Amino acid sequence: MSNASKQPEHGQPGLIPKSKIPPSMKRYFWRMGIFMTAYMAILIWGLSLKNSASPPEGAVIYGLAILTALPMCAVFWTVFRLLVEMEDEYQRFLVAKQIMLATAITLCAATIWQFLNVYGLIIEGPQWFGAIWLASFGIAGGIVRWRA
Amino acid sequence: MKNRLKVLRAERDWSQADLADQLNVSRQSVNAVETGKYDPSLPLAFKIAALFGMAIEDIFSVD
Repeated sequence: MSNASKQPEHGQPGLIPKSKIPPSMKRYFWRMGIFMTAYMAILIWGLSLKNSASPPEGAVIYGLAILTALPMCAVFWTVFRLLVEMEDEYQRFLVAKQIMLATAITLCAATIWQFLNVYGLIIEGPQWFGAIWLASFGIAGGIVRWRA
Repeated sequence: MKNRLKVLRAERDWSQADLADQLNVSRQSVNAVETGKYDPSLPLAFKIAALFGMAIEDIFSVD
């Protein structure tokens, strides 16, 4: 039977379709799960230490702050690894668009926020870029796939 | 870029999912290529051509 006329396996009745989740997505979900769990655990532990009767001081509190941020840095690494590892080039193209749109939304939000601060309309300057970017990444995913 | 994927697929009675399985891509990818929303890379174009036993220029053409 030639390649061009071969019927794919899943087209045959009675066969259970093989898993449709690509290996890159499986790794992405695993990494996300691990790093988000680590983030929550470190955050709860770190804040309980900070709010305890004898909170850590000096280098320890600096270390604690950086330690809390590290799992979030790993979350961003996970997103960019997905872009590198995706097997399907069209899906990779969509994720690239999603990342660019999320970055644009974050930068727009930060710029508006910054000028509200410059004009004295709000006291605090832009903060929590990471959380804003992750929320934007989720929104951008919906927009990109809706337009695809 | 125009392509004859839909016709070639119909001739073989393949669904988009069937073609996607054989190319090892998602069904959305096949749909995007077929409808001209996405131009495949050269490696994917070669893969498509090999699957249909044709030359790339017999499947894809410039608008």
